[in-house]
Amino acid sequence: MEVFLPIAEVSVNIAAIFSLSGIVGVLSGLFGVGGGFLMTPFLIFLGVPPTYAVANEANNILATSVSGSTTHYLKDTLDYKMGLMIVVGGVFGTLIGIWTFTYFKDIGKIDIVISLAYMYILAIIGTAMLVEGLGEIDKARKKIITKKKLHVHYWIHGLPLRMRFQKSKLYESAFTPIIIGLIVGFIAAIMGIGGAFILVPAMIYIIGMPTRLIPGTSLFVTIFVSVIVTFLHAFNYGSIDLILVFMLVLGSIVGVQVGQKIGESVDSTGLKTLLAVLLLLVGIAIAYDTFFAEHAINDVVKIDVNNLNPLSMFIKKLSADMPTLYGLFSILFAVTLGVAAAFIRRFFSNLRKKYLN
Amino acid sequence: MSNLIKNLPTEIKKNKLKTGIFLGLSAYWGVILIGTFLSLN
Repeated sequence: MEVFLPIAEVSVNIAAIFSLSGIVGVLSGLFGVGGGFLMTPFLIFLGVPPTYAVANEANNILATSVSGSTTHYLKDTLDYKMGLMIVVGGVFGTLIGIWTFTYFKDIGKIDIVISLAYMYILAIIGTAMLVEGLGEIDKARKKIITKKKLHVHYWIHGLPLRMRFQKSKLYESAFTPIIIGLIVGFIAAIMGIGGAFILVPAMIYIIGMPTRLIPGTSLFVTIFVSVIVTFLHAFNYGSIDLILVFMLVLGSIVGVQVGQKIGESVDSTGLKTLLAVLLLLVGIAIAYDTFFAEHAINDVVKIDVNNLNPLSMFIKKLSADMPTLYGLFSILFAVTLGVAAAFIRRFFSNLRKKYLN
Repeated sequence: MSNLIKNLPTEIKKNKLKTGIFLGLSAYWGVILIGTFLSLN
């Protein structure tokens, strides 16, 4: 069944959007990654123009990160102070990212820039995960155990403005999280991703945070970064499509819960290698679309905008006439869906504990 | 170094999977780098 997206002005298959966002959600729950770097390319393959794919995936990430962050807030596994320092850098990074996005959009090169950025990011992450995954399998076969250093000091730790982070039990320069936030915000604005794949390793290896605080703090940072990205995309380009966002959020929230359940009973070492192969395959598909079949991306049946249903017409008018209100509504919409999902999950979890244990 | 070069064919035979992955990744990176260069010019 096809549905017309009033803002992106393309028709997409509902089953395809639900199943893809569900599959990406399962992978997110299984591996603890945001999934934005997979979902945005999938949206592009489904015929959504890259500019719209980036903006709407950012809004979807907002909903899923609010949902995950609320769960961690209820469990008290979140370092607000560290998170806010990363957010400070993230705000500036996002603004620079949106400025760069505008520059490439103005010169008509934004679609190729987004495709190239994805190709390289997928190639780098895919290669790194493949090498690490194969190394782990090799070590497990040969029964080699390597001792890791607890905390390594880099030049970044020696910067001024040192402060104490009680929850993480750390005393280091505020510039460390700010610089990391800056990089994450910049990438999030251009690519429509949460940036967890950069943030999580940086929190472990550079900041040196305790592992139990990392997922919650990473999701907490992602909320602020994706709020800014969503609002600026809605305000500057009117590219947020609430119908698409609703479908993406439903699919990914259900998928994440399923993925987390599977993750509790499956060893992820071998699966990590498979995910690396999947990332590289998506990278190859983008390379093929960009270099050899660029025309295929835009081969989408367009529908007459004047024959829209009342809801689509209302969304289109609101986005065009009141972009600020529309941007704020998009954020509120995603936040509400995210919080509702977290409380529904808690309700079912309590119910299960009460009757099954 | 010369020993390594002499033993390279046997090493390749021993680690067929690793060699395959290495060649695959090299080809992949080659395609995207050349593609980027061509599309930006």
